[in-house]
Amino acid sequence: MAAPQNDVLRGTLELLILKTLALEPMHGWGISQRIQQFSSGVLDVNQGSLYPALQRLEVKGWIDSEWRTTENNRQAKYYRLTASGRRALGAETATWRRYVTAVESILGTA
Amino acid sequence: MSALSGLRARLRALFRRSVTERELNTEIGFHIEQEAARYRSAGMAPDDALRRARLAFGGAESVREEHRDARGTRWIEDALADTRFGLRALLRNPVLATTAIITLALGIGANTAIFSVVNAVILRPLPFPGSDRLVKISEDNPEKHWVHQTAAPANYLSWADGVKAFDGVAAYTPGGHTTLSGEGDAVMFHNAEVSGNFFAVLGIPAIAGRTFRDEETWETGTPVAVISDRLWRSRFGSDPAIIGRTVRFDEVATQIVGVVPASFAFPSPDIDVWMPMAWNHTELQKTAYRRAHWLGVVARLRPGVTPAAADAELQTVVRQLQVEFPETNRVMGADLMPLQIFLTDSIRLPLLILLGAVVLLLLIACANVGNLLLVQALGRERESALRLTLGAGRGRLIRQALTESLLLSLIGGAAGCALGWAGTRGLVALRPAGMQAIPEVGLDWRMLAYVFGIVTASGLLFGTAPAIWRGRRTPADVLKEGGRGGSEGGRIRAWGRGLVVSEVALALLLTVGAGLLLKSFWRLGQVDPGFDPQNVLTVGIALPTARYDSAYKNALFFDQLEARARALPGVSGGAAVLLPPLSGGGWTSDYHIGGRPGDQYGTEVAHRVASPSYFRVMRVPLLAGRFFTEADRDGAPKVVLINQALARLEFAGQDPVGQQIAFERKVDSTTTWYTIVGVVGSEHQVTLAEPPQLEIFQPFDQRPSSYMTLIVRTASDPLALVPSVQRAIAELDPHVAIATLLTMDDAVRRSRATQRFIALLLLTFAVAGLILSTVGVYGVIAQLARRRTREMGIRIALGAAAGQVQWLVVHQGLKLVTWGVLLGTVAALAITRALRSVLFGVSPTDPVTFVVVPAILAAAALLASWLPAARAARTDPATTLRFE
Repeated sequence: MAAPQNDVLRGTLELLILKTLALEPMHGWGISQRIQQFSSGVLDVNQGSLYPALQRLEVKGWIDSEWRTTENNRQAKYYRLTASGRRALGAETATWRRYVTAVESILGTA
Repeated sequence: MSALSGLRARLRALFRRSVTERELNTEIGFHIEQEAARYRSAGMAPDDALRRARLAFGGAESVREEHRDARGTRWIEDALADTRFGLRALLRNPVLATTAIITLALGIGANTAIFSVVNAVILRPLPFPGSDRLVKISEDNPEKHWVHQTAAPANYLSWADGVKAFDGVAAYTPGGHTTLSGEGDAVMFHNAEVSGNFFAVLGIPAIAGRTFRDEETWETGTPVAVISDRLWRSRFGSDPAIIGRTVRFDEVATQIVGVVPASFAFPSPDIDVWMPMAWNHTELQKTAYRRAHWLGVVARLRPGVTPAAADAELQTVVRQLQVEFPETNRVMGADLMPLQIFLTDSIRLPLLILLGAVVLLLLIACANVGNLLLVQALGRERESALRLTLGAGRGRLIRQALTESLLLSLIGGAAGCALGWAGTRGLVALRPAGMQAIPEVGLDWRMLAYVFGIVTASGLLFGTAPAIWRGRRTPADVLKEGGRGGSEGGRIRAWGRGLVVSEVALALLLTVGAGLLLKSFWRLGQVDPGFDPQNVLTVGIALPTARYDSAYKNALFFDQLEARARALPGVSGGAAVLLPPLSGGGWTSDYHIGGRPGDQYGTEVAHRVASPSYFRVMRVPLLAGRFFTEADRDGAPKVVLINQALARLEFAGQDPVGQQIAFERKVDSTTTWYTIVGVVGSEHQVTLAEPPQLEIFQPFDQRPSSYMTLIVRTASDPLALVPSVQRAIAELDPHVAIATLLTMDDAVRRSRATQRFIALLLLTFAVAGLILSTVGVYGVIAQLARRRTREMGIRIALGAAAGQVQWLVVHQGLKLVTWGVLLGTVAALAITRALRSVLFGVSPTDPVTFVVVPAILAAAALLASWLPAARAARTDPATTLRFE
């Protein structure tokens, strides 16, 4: 089982979603594609886990959703960032950077 | 705004659950399709592309589960789903559900009934404003073995003056009688004499007119009275004009000044008239007012003063009185306790014992239901395993199982409440007359909290083990064992056996308690009351002192009444006595026997007054000397009879007849001496449980009293005689009413009432507990026998005797029962000590009870394990082998 990887991702997945949605509103599949592209395939998100994460963000009030029609004339649920989601993105990014710097400095000294 | 949209997401999830689910499915479908399209455009075959897309997506079901979790309304949805599912599960197995619900209803019903009484009597505050600041002050005298006794008026006044921690100190006489005449038939009412501040201290205002004023403690010249709402309605049609009207109580013109609310029932619920003490200042200076003790005293603490601080101040005053009045107060102490505790003192322990018993019963019921559920959990292992395999969360399974048991306990609780409600009515009706009144039993937050508490606790208690069991088993275990297997479920069965052991132990505890109380009740019945209670009517009569103002008039009335009663048809004997035995009233004094050293005296000899025929009519034996005769009248030498208890204590090896006795501690030239003319058998004066007190009798003609009890022995039912006795009284004086009416048989019954009440209820609970635990043993052993049917079949096929095979099963039952009986006996030995004060003539570790009860229990449990064993052994081996 790939459980450990999932655990790491669980915290960061929401951050990645927020970042992705900061560019433009997008549906679930689009978000998963975008994350894969950006990370050049390193972050191979378990695609299914995206949807519970989206639901969590929506309950927090950081994102909003509506049904729209795609270019291919299909119904898809589009998510977009709310104002508080944008603020949260800033805060979460800062936290993440501090975390990375800390880990980095430990790895560097060892 | 964002919080709002978050809330919207939650609400949508909760109330438009199906929409949310549909949308999620559409989303997932869209996602997989897009992903598949991507693979297709990379040249993959459509089927492969779809499979690959699904793989990339992961388990759709677990995504759905996780999505539901993320909605933040999961627990509500789950609870609803679990409830629906649980109800379906219960309906699938109606026999189990019904058995469990009935068992629980019994346990919870018994708890509801007993707790509602405990709540009403012990827990609910008294119906007085600020009742937590009310304390009862009583007198104690170690020399006379007085504990919580009534107080002497002069001492009461000293406390009221001396203790600054009290806001007010009120006194009352615990209850008497007064005759209302001149308003139609003369009718006797219960009355109390109270200090002027009585109502003020208790915080009770009048609903019409006024209550008493402080100065009315003392003689004012105008007799006044406050009446009850009941009397106001029944006699005066709730007429407001009654205030200020003058009526005749005991033939004294008395002004009614107020009416108090119907809820006020102090010092006892039957009181209809309150009158002020109207003491005389100079009278009160006499030593007699410190010597005689007849007042109840209630004080209200100043706000912020603790009872301990008030008690310290009270003790200072008590010590001053001991120094200042050594003759009366040398060893007189006083103590103070919350009024509520004082009022509920006698019933507290019986009720707590009963509460303990019903808790035991509920535990047995829970063990039984727990057993049922365990058996059911075993049967549903495959279902659980399947659900686990399909991705249901373990926690969810546990919760599901707990929901089912909570549902059971809720339904059982509802049925139990109905039972309990009916039971409470029964309890109120069963309440022995001697026991303090049970106030109206209503629903309040304590009641609700208790019922809710026991319902939840029992649901968790019997449900947790099967629930954890269901969650802990891995699917592989269950499926591997094929659901019928040989070795599975070892732990769960160990738990089941534990339940049986504890059930038997609990039932034993309960039954031993019931056994001890039953034996006490029986022992009380064996007590010789000292007289023959059969077919004796006692009629208490208080003559109005205003007209019967001389010893001669009192003597004349009762002599005439006795003669008339004796002449009534169906009457074999008539007599008069101050108070009949088992009534606990009367007065006591010190005594000194003539010719003994001056400092040698006895304390606490009871006094009664009797007409010459009293002892013959009551069939009290004469042991020495003679009874009273008509010659023992006013002016003749003063004589007394003593009872056997006094004769044994003071005249061992001597002849008491002819000796002199005085009722003072220090004798001098002014002392009145009485000659002992005979010894009579000892009657139980207070209760059957209390040994007879030391007692002397004076002849009625030498010490007349305005209150006497007419004793009539009849040929048949004594109550049938009441109308003719009433007529006889009315013929002598139409303004005299009957104060008390009781047959001696009833007095004896009343004296055993508390033990009867506890014994009866404990017996009921013990029988219920015994049945439940026997059924529990049966259930577990039957399950065990069923599982071993195949093995037994093989053994029988191989030539084992049916009896041997049967023994295998019985043996297992026997082991469990033995453990249960052992544990229960040890627990009972430790716990029955708490019963000591309600037991009579039986030790809390009575060997007979401790042998008989475990034997009965073991026999019942053995029968319960023998039945299924016998059935299993009877089965044809061929059938059992084919059965699998």
